[in-house]
Amino acid sequence: MTVTATLASVHAGAPGLLDEGAKREIRRAVLTAICVPGYQVPFGSREMPVARGWGSGGLQITLALVGADDTVKVIDQGDDDGVNATNLRRLVSASTGCAETADTRDASIVQTRHRVPEDWLGGDQTLVLQVPVPEPLRGVQKSVRECGRMHAENDYAMIWVSLYEDLVRNGLITQSTGYPVFVGGRYVMATTPIPRWDVPRLHQAEHLSLFGAGREKKIYAVPPHTDVEPLTFDDVPFEVEYAPGSSCARCGRDDAFLVEAGPLGGYACSDTEWCARVRDGDADVAAHREWSPLALLPDPSRRVGVTTSEAPAPVTERERVASEQEWALKVDGIGKVHGLGGAAAVAGTGPEYRTAISPATGAVVAAWDVSFDVAPGEALGLIGESGSGKSTVLGCVTGDVTATEGRVYLSGVDGGRTDILTLSGTERRRLRVDQLAVVHQDPSAGLDLGVSAGGNIAERLTAAGWRGYHAMRRKAAELLDRVEVPLSRMDDPVATFSGGMRQRVQIAKALATEPPVLLLDEPTTGLDASVAAGVLDLLRGLLAERDVAAVVVSHDFAVIETLTDRSCVMQLGRMVEQGLTDQLVHDPHHPYTQRLVAAARR
Amino acid sequence: MSETLMSETVLTARGLRKTFTLHTIDGRQVTSLRDVDLDLRAGEHVALAGPSGAGKSSLLRCLYRTYLPDAGSVLLRTGDVELTGLSDRAMARLRGREFGYVAQFLTAPPRTGPLQVVAATARRRGLDTDAATDAAVDALRRLNLDEALWDVDCCVLSGGERQRVNLAAGTVQPPRLLLLDEPVSALDPANREAALDLVDSLAAYGVAVLAVFHDAAAMHRLASRVLVMRDGQIIHQGTPAEVLEVAA
Repeated sequence: MTVTATLASVHAGAPGLLDEGAKREIRRAVLTAICVPGYQVPFGSREMPVARGWGSGGLQITLALVGADDTVKVIDQGDDDGVNATNLRRLVSASTGCAETADTRDASIVQTRHRVPEDWLGGDQTLVLQVPVPEPLRGVQKSVRECGRMHAENDYAMIWVSLYEDLVRNGLITQSTGYPVFVGGRYVMATTPIPRWDVPRLHQAEHLSLFGAGREKKIYAVPPHTDVEPLTFDDVPFEVEYAPGSSCARCGRDDAFLVEAGPLGGYACSDTEWCARVRDGDADVAAHREWSPLALLPDPSRRVGVTTSEAPAPVTERERVASEQEWALKVDGIGKVHGLGGAAAVAGTGPEYRTAISPATGAVVAAWDVSFDVAPGEALGLIGESGSGKSTVLGCVTGDVTATEGRVYLSGVDGGRTDILTLSGTERRRLRVDQLAVVHQDPSAGLDLGVSAGGNIAERLTAAGWRGYHAMRRKAAELLDRVEVPLSRMDDPVATFSGGMRQRVQIAKALATEPPVLLLDEPTTGLDASVAAGVLDLLRGLLAERDVAAVVVSHDFAVIETLTDRSCVMQLGRMVEQGLTDQLVHDPHHPYTQRLVAAARR
Repeated sequence: MSETLMSETVLTARGLRKTFTLHTIDGRQVTSLRDVDLDLRAGEHVALAGPSGAGKSSLLRCLYRTYLPDAGSVLLRTGDVELTGLSDRAMARLRGREFGYVAQFLTAPPRTGPLQVVAATARRRGLDTDAATDAAVDALRRLNLDEALWDVDCCVLSGGERQRVNLAAGTVQPPRLLLLDEPVSALDPANREAALDLVDSLAAYGVAVLAVFHDAAAMHRLASRVLVMRDGQIIHQGTPAEVLEVAA
């Protein structure tokens, strides 16, 4: 007697492997999953008498759904007779008393790993899939929390980049199992464990598909008659796996999913039950041909760079020039206190007290009462020594730092009437796509170093709604050419670039969506003198030729003088002086500015 | 050139004062302008004379607002704009359009060539890219700058070459008001003549020129009026002949 059978006999007649409470928990999760197609519903995954990763998620769903009237079919790699399939089927039928079958047509529940059966699945049938990796974003984002945010905010730029990178490296999409799909036009879902060949079978299907991942404790579903659209660029068609000229060595069909037939070579149907019935003449092969994805076979002629898709409409409504104010960015009374007391802690700090530490609470007043605005075509400098609060102010504008006080307006957002600090985190992140770009001192803060230079730019473009692969390639090449990165390096990972090149790529990425406001945080610090000079020249050229409103943060008067017309001087979190940049250099009024200038004029 | 255009006042300065407070040296005060009044008319060429430290350059810089005057007003008559109280942004724009400022030393951005510098100035004065390049080529030719140097970094040029680049930028697509601070001090006689010819020709465009020259010959040749400064004040003014005689 096998272990499985022993276990099953222990539970025979009783509630089965799962008690009623556990079944209800799983059914509730399944119902939620059906209501929100493609959304991964967490559930209390139980220990099963199979190892996790061997189908415990699918098994739990089947056990929760199955009743005495059901007929269960279990396949593994399309095969009913595999060890795993056999044992799972035996476990289900022995512990619940339901019938079992190999014939797809007779089954009410089909539990599967790797395949959707070749035969048609109707409205009275349920497909249960054993899922190894439920998270489609796992490959591009390690943090579970961040994955959750990306799903919630419909922020799928990174997964588009992974497809872009696949195309760049291989010339065509190679990802087979787990191809990402949009379900119901909302959630991106991993179609693990089925191959691309079976993905079209989920689209507007008659049957219900349930996906269970026991290890990750997630259940998700594709209800009948739901749109399931593979993620593809407008000009790169979705294709299924196919070996040209192949057909099944046993049944001779070429319209079923084929696998290599072993040491003798050739191919064979992956669905062995279907193959056997074809040979017996007990299969509706004409109808099967209808739902086979033959229209999606690889066809190089469809992949040629014909592209009609161009730049999409901006993500956020842009109101330019028409609005009454002339500025593009306005910062009004920004303040940041690290520590206790908030605004009350500010008294007794600042340049006149020669400290940024509150005597009352010990809080650090990183910035207080900083106001400025920048107009299109203008560059404003923010200068001061380290710790004077320059980057804090910039962080408050971008949202990386939560401001204690103050307001920030963008003319492109609600005509400059809405304080963007009052917007939600989601809305503020959207602004970063095409309203407000940042060039960080450290390129790794603005770039994904593992992704190619072109892919980094494609990330910003896909976030802005671009879906044309060739259009993105062209735009990325144009931008990289402008920032003098050799096009031969376009498809190399940024990690292989030098510091100066990385900074150039970061600048190209920031400009990709032509944002009206550009924030530069110490853009040349950390680069050696000759490289810094090159980047500085590049920035000067870019600012001169664009109508962008730029804020340049630097401790270096040479950088500020080269790039800006007007400047603000910061000391201990306060703005102590502002004026035309040449006036600040030649006629500094504040003692601190005079010291700074004197130090720079060695 | 009509008489009305010639006599139209371009700029009026009243009661300009400038004192520097040197916080790095115990707050020492250095006064460089005391109550300076000035009128500049279109097409007029006014020279500033006086010893070193008299406040000539300070006056130019106060008008350009590289120095922020402590008191007084600078009124640009076109559009009646008061410059000392103008916002930084408006001043930066006005500079690009209306002012030419030629300092003793070239303050071009690093790693840019003469043609680029001059063309950029022409663009700020309203020319499109192609026209700006053409104008820059003209200006550099007029000042006899060797064509081989046009795309060489300005910082490797000689003093005289830099001065010509500077002068070309100041005069290209002539601005309404041109401030010159010893623009020909480093030039050899032949180039000096070419430069002075160029400045002289600007009157025909109705440009008001305020210049500091340290040689009397240039003043004789160009100036319609000379203002003599001493200790931050204008102590005397008249035609070059009158004034230079008094000084001598």
